[in-house]
This record gives sequence, structure tokens and C-alpha cells, in this order.
Amino acid sequence: MSAPDLKALQTGDSTAWDAAFSWVWPTVFAVAQLKLQPYFPDEVEDVAIEALEELVEKVRVLKSSEELKPLAASIAHHRAVSLLRERFAKKRGEGKTESLDAPAVGESAPYEWASSDSPLVDLEQKELAQRLGKSLAELKPPLGEILSDFFLHGLRYEEIARKRSMAVGSVGVYLKRGLDAIRRIWGRSENS
Amino acid sequence: MNGMNDQRFFDLAMKMVTRTCTDAERTELDSLMAAHPELKAELEKLQTDTRLAREALPLLAAMEATSPELPAYAREPLRTKVRQTLGRPAPSQAKPFWNWRWILGLAAGGTAVVVLLLVLMRQPEPVIQVAMLDTVGGSRGPAANDIDVLQQEWSAGPVASFDKATEMENWKTNWPTAREVVAKVSYDRASAEVRVLLRRDGKTQEKTFVVDHDLASTLKEADGFIRDQTRR
Repeated sequence: MSAPDLKALQTGDSTAWDAAFSWVWPTVFAVAQLKLQPYFPDEVEDVAIEALEELVEKVRVLKSSEELKPLAASIAHHRAVSLLRERFAKKRGEGKTESLDAPAVGESAPYEWASSDSPLVDLEQKELAQRLGKSLAELKPPLGEILSDFFLHGLRYEEIARKRSMAVGSVGVYLKRGLDAIRRIWGRSENS
Repeated sequence: MNGMNDQRFFDLAMKMVTRTCTDAERTELDSLMAAHPELKAELEKLQTDTRLAREALPLLAAMEATSPELPAYAREPLRTKVRQTLGRPAPSQAKPFWNWRWILGLAAGGTAVVVLLLVLMRQPEPVIQVAMLDTVGGSRGPAANDIDVLQQEWSAGPVASFDKATEMENWKTNWPTAREVVAKVSYDRASAEVRVLLRRDGKTQEKTFVVDHDLASTLKEADGFIRDQTRR
């Protein structure tokens, strides 16, 4: 499915919006799931729907349809983080802290998702959307996939080389290039 | 460090950061850092970058997701949100093909010809059939009021009323054979939509109007569409 026609969306064309909702839904759902699944799985769908509603409100400020998914992802991320903060603040207020202080082995504490330690949480919605858009543009295949293989799936150099049919030496070169791009795009700017 | 050592340091650092370093690799990294103390800062940078990558990459992966499908129950509320926030799309205006000088020049000479053509080629008035589907009963106010509004807009014939979608579908497919131009206007109270089916010369056109404010003004819009299309 290709990106929807932004002009049609901005004028409220219902057919274009039907297509856009189907196109963006997997993204907002995946982002909400990423943040909420371990703690509030029942909220994932609601947060994703709210993110689409907010996308409708903000569509007029967009300049190209390529900005749609990054903005939707950013909205879903902020909504999920807000919900985590709100729920955990409430639990703290009620003195129910056990489950928060003792996450399962290998899991991060819930506060980590929502705390200011996280470099992503501090970003404004618009800025996060811009950085996501830039990352998509810069981490062209196979760069993004190799980074994911290494950092998310824990594959070793040799395993990635086999999977991607490339020399082991090339894996490190790609990783270095990808990490440089991530530093450039996501690293704190001088002003922040 | 030269380029090759630079890449070697990076590879060792990555293995260290992800805890996949062998003892031999750890020793090699330590000796590299002993020989080049500036690499300590570089290693710290790589640790920060790794953390960024671990946070940003799942979001990027989410943007490539293609499933699941949007749940059906969410569709209608989202459509409502679009209507409330952005309104209905404005009708597009075609660019004039001729400029005003052409029009003025030809207007005088052409008037007589146009009048003659209008008389000779006038389309017959369309037959407009009207029906209402009411599957929600009284939850949206009395259905009789809506029938009155429909009747006021198109008084030439009766307004059919159905409470089952299948009956409405049958009505929509039942076209009179004798007439050249027929419009079928159906109003679905549940979805607050007015649909116009226009058949001319064996071809059917369809347009849907959403009842945003009040039914009467939406019906005027639908009637305008029918008149506009049948004038052509």
C-alpha cells in the first residue's frame, strides 16, 4: 500500500482517510504495543485509536505524505508514555510500588520508559517525528536491518554475515556507518 | 590510529558493549586503549550511541509494520472525527478553458445558437425515486420527520421506507426501464448518509453525501448534484 494523497486528507476526503487509517494503523499499534504491552496490554488498542484521532487534528500542518507515519508514531509514543506516567504516578500515590520496583529479570523498570533518562522521552512530538522521518530516509536497506539484527535481535557478526550473505568484515563497516547516522540524528544537539 | 585499527577498535568495542567479547578480544581491546588513551572517551560515546540505537530502532521497526488490520469497530468513530475536524471536501472547481476575451467575443454571436440547441437538445427531466432505511428506530429522533423532509425536497413521488438493509438493496437495483434518466436517492438514518444513484444511457453514477448538520441542507446538495449532472 502506498502513502495516501496528503491533499485529499487535508480536505477531509473520507475515502483517502479510510485508506490512510489502514495504512498507518500497524505503525501506531506497534508503537503503543512497544510501550504498553508489558504493563497495560488492554490499553494498546485505545491508545492507537487516540493517536489516529490526533493525527486527523494535525494533518493540516504536514507538507508531504512521507511525514504521516513518523508523526503518527510520535503521537502514539507520546500518548503511551503519558499513560505510563499517569498510571504509575497514581500507583505510587496509592502506595502500590512493589510491582514497579521489582521488574522481572531482563526487563527494564517501567520508569525507564517514561523517565527523563530516556533520550527519546524528552523530545517534543514534532522533533521526534522529524528524527524518525530522517532515520527512515538515512537508514536505507540493509543498514537498518543490520542494526536491528545486532542491537535488537542480538545476532553476532558471523550470524549477520551469513543471514545477509556478506563478508564478516562488511558487517562492522555497516554497523559503524549506521551508528554514526544514529548519533547524527538522535544525539543531543549543542542547544539541548 | 589508522583506518584499519579504527574499524578494529569499533568492532571490539561493539562486542564489549553487547557482552559478546571473548577473553582474547577483551585483552586486545585493553591493549588498544592503553596505547591510545583517547579511545576511552570514544568507547563511552559508543555506549551512548548503543543506547540510542536500542531505543530508536524499535520505533523505526514499528513504522515498517504491516499488521494487524484496523479493527472494524474503530472505523466509524474515526470517520466521524474526520468529518468533525476537517469537514467535507470542497467541490473541485475546474479551471476555465477559455479566457474572458474569448467568452465575450463569442457570447453575442453564440447566444442564438445556444438557445436553439437548448430547445432542441434539452434533456428530459429526471425521474427521482426516494427511499429511507431506518434500522435504528427512534434512537435518532422520529423517522416520520425525516420522511417529511425527504418528501418536501422531492414531492413528485412517494418516499419508500425500509427497516432492513436487504430491502433497500433490492430497491436500489430495481430500475424503471422506460425512462432515460433516473435518480435513486436513499437516506440511511443509521450512518447519516444520503446516497444518490444516477442512471443515464445505461450508465450509473454514484455519490454519497454525509449529513453533517441537518438533513434538509444535505438533500438540497444531493438535488443540486442530480440537476447538475442531468443538465450536462
